[in-house]
Amino acid sequence: MSTYITKRIVYMILILFAASFLIFCLYALTPGDFISGNIKLTPERKEELREIYGLNKPVIERYFTWMGNAFHGDFGYSLSQQKPVLTLFNQYIWNSFLLAIVSTFLTWLLAVVIGVVAAYKQYSWFDTLVMICVFAAMSIPSFFIGLFLIKMLAVDWKWLPPGGMMTTGSNATGIAYYKEVIHHMILPVIVMTLLGVGSLTRYFRSNMIDVIKQDYIRTARAKGMKERKVLFTHALRNALLPAITLVGFELPALFGGSLIIEKIFNWPGIGQLYMQSFSLRDYPLLMGFTLFIAILTVIGTLISDILYHVADPRVRL
Amino acid sequence: MKKRITVLSTALLASTLLLSACGNNSDNNAGSANAGTSPSAAPAGDAAQLITASDLSKLPDTAKSRTDTIIVGLTDPSGAFTPYFQQSGYDGNVSSLLYTPLVTVDDKGLPIPGIAEKWDVSADNLTYTFHLRKDLKFSDGSPLTADDVAFTWTILNDKSYDGDSQVNTLHIKGSDAYKAGTATSIEGIKVIDPQTVSVTLEQPNASALTMLGSDVLSKAYYGKDYKQGQLDYMKKLSGSPLGNGPYKLEKFIPGQEVRMVANENYFAGKPKTEHFIYKTSEGDTWQYLETGEVDYASFSATKENIDKLKGLGFVNILPYTPSNYGYLQLNLKHPALQDKLVRQALTYGLDRQSIYVDASQGAGEVANIPSSKISWAYTEEGINPYKFDQEKAKELLDQAGWKVGAGGIREKDGKQLTIHYLGSKKPETDIFIAVAKEDYEALGIKFEPEVFADFNALVSKVEGGDYDMVSFSTPLLTDPADGLIQFVDGEIEGYNDPKFKELYDKGLATNDIEARKAVYKELFQYLNDELPIIYTSYKKSVYAYNGRIQNLSVSPFNGLAPSLPNWTLSDISQ
Repeated sequence: MSTYITKRIVYMILILFAASFLIFCLYALTPGDFISGNIKLTPERKEELREIYGLNKPVIERYFTWMGNAFHGDFGYSLSQQKPVLTLFNQYIWNSFLLAIVSTFLTWLLAVVIGVVAAYKQYSWFDTLVMICVFAAMSIPSFFIGLFLIKMLAVDWKWLPPGGMMTTGSNATGIAYYKEVIHHMILPVIVMTLLGVGSLTRYFRSNMIDVIKQDYIRTARAKGMKERKVLFTHALRNALLPAITLVGFELPALFGGSLIIEKIFNWPGIGQLYMQSFSLRDYPLLMGFTLFIAILTVIGTLISDILYHVADPRVRL
Repeated sequence: MKKRITVLSTALLASTLLLSACGNNSDNNAGSANAGTSPSAAPAGDAAQLITASDLSKLPDTAKSRTDTIIVGLTDPSGAFTPYFQQSGYDGNVSSLLYTPLVTVDDKGLPIPGIAEKWDVSADNLTYTFHLRKDLKFSDGSPLTADDVAFTWTILNDKSYDGDSQVNTLHIKGSDAYKAGTATSIEGIKVIDPQTVSVTLEQPNASALTMLGSDVLSKAYYGKDYKQGQLDYMKKLSGSPLGNGPYKLEKFIPGQEVRMVANENYFAGKPKTEHFIYKTSEGDTWQYLETGEVDYASFSATKENIDKLKGLGFVNILPYTPSNYGYLQLNLKHPALQDKLVRQALTYGLDRQSIYVDASQGAGEVANIPSSKISWAYTEEGINPYKFDQEKAKELLDQAGWKVGAGGIREKDGKQLTIHYLGSKKPETDIFIAVAKEDYEALGIKFEPEVFADFNALVSKVEGGDYDMVSFSTPLLTDPADGLIQFVDGEIEGYNDPKFKELYDKGLATNDIEARKAVYKELFQYLNDELPIIYTSYKKSVYAYNGRIQNLSVSPFNGLAPSLPNWTLSDISQ
C-alpha cells in the first residue's frame, strides 16, 4: 500500500507538471492578452506595457519564470486586481466552499434516501413521481430556477434576500452574523441541491436495483432477515461502493465555485472571479487557479482510490 | 484626469449594460476596458427631465429604515483604489469618491475648479500653473500641497509606471530623461510655493489641463518607499487609499461591498450623508432596486424599462447621456474601403435608424460625427445625416466602379465586394447583423459576419488586420480631442490624412474655447464627408433612484462624485 502511494505521488507530480505546461500554453496562445482589451490605450503605450508585464517574451520563457516563482510559493500578482493571487483565493474560495459543502451534503443525503426508497418500490407511484421530478429538475436550466425563486421568494413575498452573502452595511458579528449568512444561503443552496440531486438519485436508484436483484439479497431475505436490515446493511453498502469514485470528483467542485449560481445570487465566490479573469486574460490568476484545481483533482482521485480499497478489500492497489 | 474620468464613467456605463444583459462575460470585461463596445447615450438637451416618484409610500421597508446610509450598486470593484494604478473602471468609481481632482469638468465637459482654485496657461500654451485652494487636507488631516502634485506627476512618468494614465504622453519637459534614468527629477515640473505648482510641456496640447489636473497622491504616504524605476510597492497600498475626496474608505469586503464614511476634512465641508456603500451587484439590480436593497441603479432607456420603473412608484427617473459614440471601424487597407465613395455607400445603405433607434425602443440615436452628443463641440451644422437611401448607395457604388456581376454580387477588376464583419456577442450585434446582412445584400455586397464571445480575442483579430468592418464604441470622452485620438495614434490603421492631422493639431494648439469650437466644426464636417469610420449611434439610459434622495444629479463626465456630498435622505414618515 505505501509503495503504491509513493508511486502515485510521483505520478501526480509528473501529471501536474504536464498539466501546468499545457494550461500555460493554452492560455498564452489564446488570442488577445491583458493589454489588448483596453481600448483606452494607444498602440504605442500597449507595446510599452507588454514590455513591463513581460507579455512580449516567448511562451516557454514566461512559463519557466512563472513556475520558478510558483516553487517559491509566489503565484504573482493578479494583473486586474493588483493583489497577490493567493490573497485573492483566500478572499473568495471559502465562500464558494461554504455553499458547495452544504449543498453537496444535502444533495447526497436526499439522493441516497430517495434513490433507495425508489429502487425498493420500483414502478410504484412513488418511484414514478420521483422519476418525473428528477427529469424536471434536470431539464430546467439553473438560471431559470434561480431567477424564478428570486422573483417569488425574494421580490414578491419578501421572505428571503435576493442575493449577496450578508445584509448590506450590516455590522453583525458572532451568532447574528451566522444567522444572516444562513438566511442568504437558503436560496442558492436550494437551487444547487435541486440541480445536483436529480442525476445522483438516478445513479443510486439504478445501483440499488442492480444490487437488490443479486442472489445474496434473496438469500438474506430467504433466511428471514428483517427487510430494513437487508436494505440498509447489505444492499446499500454494496450499492454505495461505486459512489466512492464520485466522492473524489467532488473535491475540485467544492473549491471550484459555481459560476452560474454565484452570478445569479451575487455570491462572492471564486467561480465569478475566475470567469472575470478569463475575459480579462489575467494570466497569473488564471494559471494559479487552474493549477489549484488540477492539484485538487489529482488528490481527489487518489483519495477515492484509497477509500475504495478501504471499503472493498478485494480491490488491489 | 480626462482619462481617469473616462474610466469612471465607463464603469458607470458598464454597469448599465449589465443590467439588461444579465451579465455576460464580454460585458464584464467592460469594466476595465471595453464598456465602450456598446455605446450608451441620451440627449442632454431634450430629455433631461426628471420624472419624480409618484407614491413614496410604496418604498420597501428595507430602504425606509436607512437613515444615514445610501447604497448604490456597482458591478465589480476589485479593491485597488489608488487612482492611476487601478485596472478596472469599477475601482475608478470608488476612487472618484475618495479623491477630488485639481480640475474637474462641468456638464458640457468644460474645465472648472476642483481643489485648484484657478490656473494660468502661458501665452505659448506650454506652461500650466495651478493655484491650490488654502488649507487643503488629505482625509487623515495631513496637508495637501504643491509637493504632492509634483510627486504625482513625477511618478506617472516613471519608467515602471504600468497604469493607463495618459499624463506620460503629454511630453512634459524633461520627462524623457527621467524615464531613461539620466535625471533624478523632471525639469518641467516646478513647485513655486506650497500652493502653486507649474508644469511645462514640450508641445501644446489642449487636453493637458484636465489630464494634469487629475487626482493628487500624498507624497508622504505614497512616496515613502519610492525609488526611481520602482513602483511595485504601490500595489501594497492599493487597498488602503489615502485621499482628499468627500468620502474615505471604511471597509472593503471582496465581492460584497465597499463601505465609505464621510470625510470631515473634505475641502467643501463634510458630506451630508454619513455612510455611502457600493454594493457589488451584477445583472440583478432590478431585484435590488425593487426590494430596496440599493437606492440607485441605471438602465437602458427603453420604453419597457421606463414603464416598469414608473410602475414601481417610489423611484425618481433621470434620463442620462453617456459621452461617447459608437462606430463601425473599417479596415482602410481593404482596397474597396479605401474609396470614399464605397464608405459613403455603406453608410447610406445601412438602415441605422432601425438598428440603433427602433430596435432599442427609442433608447438610442443615430450618430454622424465622431463626437459625443453632449460635448460642447457637438454640432449638426453642415453635417450630412446619411439618411437610409439604398438608391443613393447603389449610385455611389456604380460610380466607384463596382458593377453588379454574377450572382448579384458587385465586382471590380475581377474581385467581389465582400465585407467581413466582426462583432462581440450581445443582442445588439444580433440585430445589427440581421439588418446589415439584408441591407448590404440588397446592394450587391457579400456580408460575412463573425461573432466573438470574447472581447480580447476580437481585439487581437482586429490588431492582426483580419477584418473589414468591426463594431466598437469609444470610452467616455471629456475633451472633443479624445474622440479623435484614434485617427492619429495608429488605431485606425491605414488612415493617414494630412488635412485631418493639420486640423487636429490646430484644435489642440489653443485653449480658447470659441476658437476650438470653430476648428472642431470644420473637422467634424470634414470627417462626416470622409467617413474613415462609419458613425453609428448614441445610446440613451436612465437612472432610477429612491425618491427620498434629494439634490441628486449625475455628471456625464464625473458620474455621482460631484453631487454626492450634497445628497440627503428626506424624512418620509411625516
